[in-house]
Amino acid sequence: MTSFLNRQDSYQEYDYFPGDAYPGDHHSLRLRRLSSGRSIHNIPHYNPSLSDGGDSEDDNQGQPRELRSLPRHMAIKKAKLKSRGIQVPVLSKAEMWKQDKLKKLQKLQNKAREILFFLALWGKTLQKIGGNFGGGVQSYFLFLRFLVILNFVSFLLMAGFVIIPSLVFRQVGVSFMNSNSTGEEICTVYEPNPPGLVVFYDYFLNLLSGTGFMEYSFMFYGYYNNTMVEDRNFSYKIPLAYLFTAIFYFAFCLICIVTRMGSAARVAVATGGSTAVNYSMIVFTGWDYGCLGDTATKLKQKNLLYRLQVDLEEERLKKHAASLTLLQKFGLHSLRLLMFLLVLGLNIAAFFGIFYATRYSQAQQNQSAGIQALFYEYLPSVVISAGNFLVPLLCDQIAKVERYSPSITVIVALLRAVVLRFVSLGVLLFTLWDQITCKGKINDLKCMLCGYNYESYPCWETRVGQEMYKLTLFDLLINIALLVLVEFPRRMVVDNWSSKISQLVGRQEFVVSSSVLGLVYSQTVVWTGALFCPLLPLINTVKFVILFYCKKITLFSNCRPPQKTFRSTTSAFFFLVVLLLGWMLASVVLIYSIAVIRPSLGCGPFRFSDNMWSVVPKSLYSLPLVTQEFLFFLGSQAFTIPLFSLSSLVMFYVIALFSIYGKSVRLLRQQLKGESRDKQFLVKQIGELSQ
Amino acid sequence: MGATASQLDKGMLSEYQELTFLTKQEILLAHKRFSELVPKEEIDRINCRIPMSLILTLPELKSNPFNERICKVFSTSDIKDGSLSFDDFLDLLSAFSDSATLEIKSHYAFRIFDFDDDGTLGRHDLEKLVNCLTGGTDDTNLTPDEMRQLIDNILEESDIDKDGTVNLSEFQHVISRSPDFVSSFKIVL
Repeated sequence: MTSFLNRQDSYQEYDYFPGDAYPGDHHSLRLRRLSSGRSIHNIPHYNPSLSDGGDSEDDNQGQPRELRSLPRHMAIKKAKLKSRGIQVPVLSKAEMWKQDKLKKLQKLQNKAREILFFLALWGKTLQKIGGNFGGGVQSYFLFLRFLVILNFVSFLLMAGFVIIPSLVFRQVGVSFMNSNSTGEEICTVYEPNPPGLVVFYDYFLNLLSGTGFMEYSFMFYGYYNNTMVEDRNFSYKIPLAYLFTAIFYFAFCLICIVTRMGSAARVAVATGGSTAVNYSMIVFTGWDYGCLGDTATKLKQKNLLYRLQVDLEEERLKKHAASLTLLQKFGLHSLRLLMFLLVLGLNIAAFFGIFYATRYSQAQQNQSAGIQALFYEYLPSVVISAGNFLVPLLCDQIAKVERYSPSITVIVALLRAVVLRFVSLGVLLFTLWDQITCKGKINDLKCMLCGYNYESYPCWETRVGQEMYKLTLFDLLINIALLVLVEFPRRMVVDNWSSKISQLVGRQEFVVSSSVLGLVYSQTVVWTGALFCPLLPLINTVKFVILFYCKKITLFSNCRPPQKTFRSTTSAFFFLVVLLLGWMLASVVLIYSIAVIRPSLGCGPFRFSDNMWSVVPKSLYSLPLVTQEFLFFLGSQAFTIPLFSLSSLVMFYVIALFSIYGKSVRLLRQQLKGESRDKQFLVKQIGELSQ
Repeated sequence: MGATASQLDKGMLSEYQELTFLTKQEILLAHKRFSELVPKEEIDRINCRIPMSLILTLPELKSNPFNERICKVFSTSDIKDGSLSFDDFLDLLSAFSDSATLEIKSHYAFRIFDFDDDGTLGRHDLEKLVNCLTGGTDDTNLTPDEMRQLIDNILEESDIDKDGTVNLSEFQHVISRSPDFVSSFKIVL
């Protein structure tokens, strides 16, 4: 017995524990040591006679603070206070005042946070959606909100720098500069408004297709002139403004996406990806005691239930996948390969369909009028939408065979549909380019005169803008039509007609991946068309707002809660990756249009240049000499090569940092495991020694 | 000792400030809310106790799934019926205030989750805890298989000495790794 007591003392002397990282832990383990003479397991925690408990707490706030940190009942604390004989009050007035002010500041911060949350667009709706349908569906609506804000801010950009100055200069009646045109006279003829009477329904057709009264308006590129205003200390060139606004718009969108991706990636790295799920953390710390009211409580409970179910299911699937025999694994992988080839085949078939449809529609467009013309104009959009509808449907059925885990299924479905959508858009753009530049051959008969196909496209930029406008509008109309004609009837049929078929089909489920793809596709279309149709971001903002409310209505009325839930943190990151892909596609189009194709001679602010970019060097010469030299230096090789090598150095450094952080996270995790093993060992030792 | 009729004298006020994490305004507000709950006939009795059913009418506690456990943990009544005196009520608010330390909060959280009051969180305690978190009714509970899987996982992660239960220090170990426990374990009147 005495030897044991001595050993106990020696523990206290050498202070075995690695550090004061967890003061509470340290303290309670020391309590365990003190009372180890009585029992090891099931130590009575509520023993008020452990009078040393209060003194070993953090002393940094001074001695009188200890009593309130004592986890005992009020009567005991009062007795202690009496026994110490300390007169109350002990705290000086200054300290109390400081404490008071600190608390008030904290309260102010909390209130500010609450107000900010309230002001955030659709904050309450998103919370409601998250509670009822889980994090996956909520991430779709969060993504939609991000796009709405992005589009609105871009519209403000465009309005401020291009549309409003154009409006002002037009009203003021500033005459535009006429440089000597080097082309033939015929290329500059552009008649957007056909003379004579038009049939009444033509206005409606014009609204849908962007021709007629809409063509020569602020909507499209053709309306803007190369106005240049010069005052004593103020000069504003519309062509320069137009170009730089478009370029800045792209850069701004890139920065927004990358910033948002950065925060999503940080969360993924900090939690170590999807591998380190901490159930104890969720269960012990998951409840928010500030929840007031029945609805908020039920929402939180549903949230927790979903979270737990998702994590448990992922773990089950992982275990199942790991437990397959070699033969089963081989079978599964070969099945997946077969499905992949099948999906590839489907995609290729869809591409060729779109290609031929676009060609056919371009050919027929010039030979028909009225409703028929409208039909031919919308043919490519129809084929693209049909393909985008059918192929993912088939891919979904295929995905059921492949049996990936829920989060991977979503990502795979997303990637497959993304390829289809972007290449279908690319095919459309390719056929347009085909027609406009006569397959790139300048010396072709049609294009020789003006540098582009003048006969079919007197103002080709407006034409491209119109195509993008049609795609946007058609997308919105299809969504609304689906809502009204498919989803509501489906619900009514399922609810009111109880037959076997309706039981089998059931209420529909909100499919997140295809909806997100629709958003990314619309956004890519808007980016492609923004150079040619400056009002497109505004139209897109309105469209997305309408879409938000439509989707919300269909979600709450027609959809059932998802059977399979999936983790939303990694999928939010993937949505942004896919959006970035769309951005890259649009930027290729932008760079090509700015740098290579000859602008139309009959319309637009760049009509007298060889390409859009050449406005910049021309206006450069009007700057003071020093600025000119500086800008030339920036563009020269003497600057770009060192800059390039410096940025590669920085990139390598960041990559090295990233791998080091990953390694240290793994190391720390192993240390944590090791620490728990150490504690187990020590507890065993104590147990053995006490016997 | 304890609250007299309708006033708290200065001495008691500073004593309470000393012994709890609450500010003067919070203690006065607590006294006001507590007095509103006292039934008319007992309003002059020193050290009166309010039964649990009345405490649970407070909006901050009404829909909390742990409300009964909270009352039982902070109650000092001999018959263990969850009734609270004013001192107990202040103890409750002090533990749930925003200046309380992590140790206090984790200590009381452990006691709240310990449904059978045996000093450790065994399988039954964890099962009841999860049911409280997810809703408690039949269609909001996990299936028995899922529950078993979840509790196995929790014990594997937090039971360091492998005795099949989570004791206070293991619990505090888990809590100390969570950054927002302190801000979520908060009830403010």
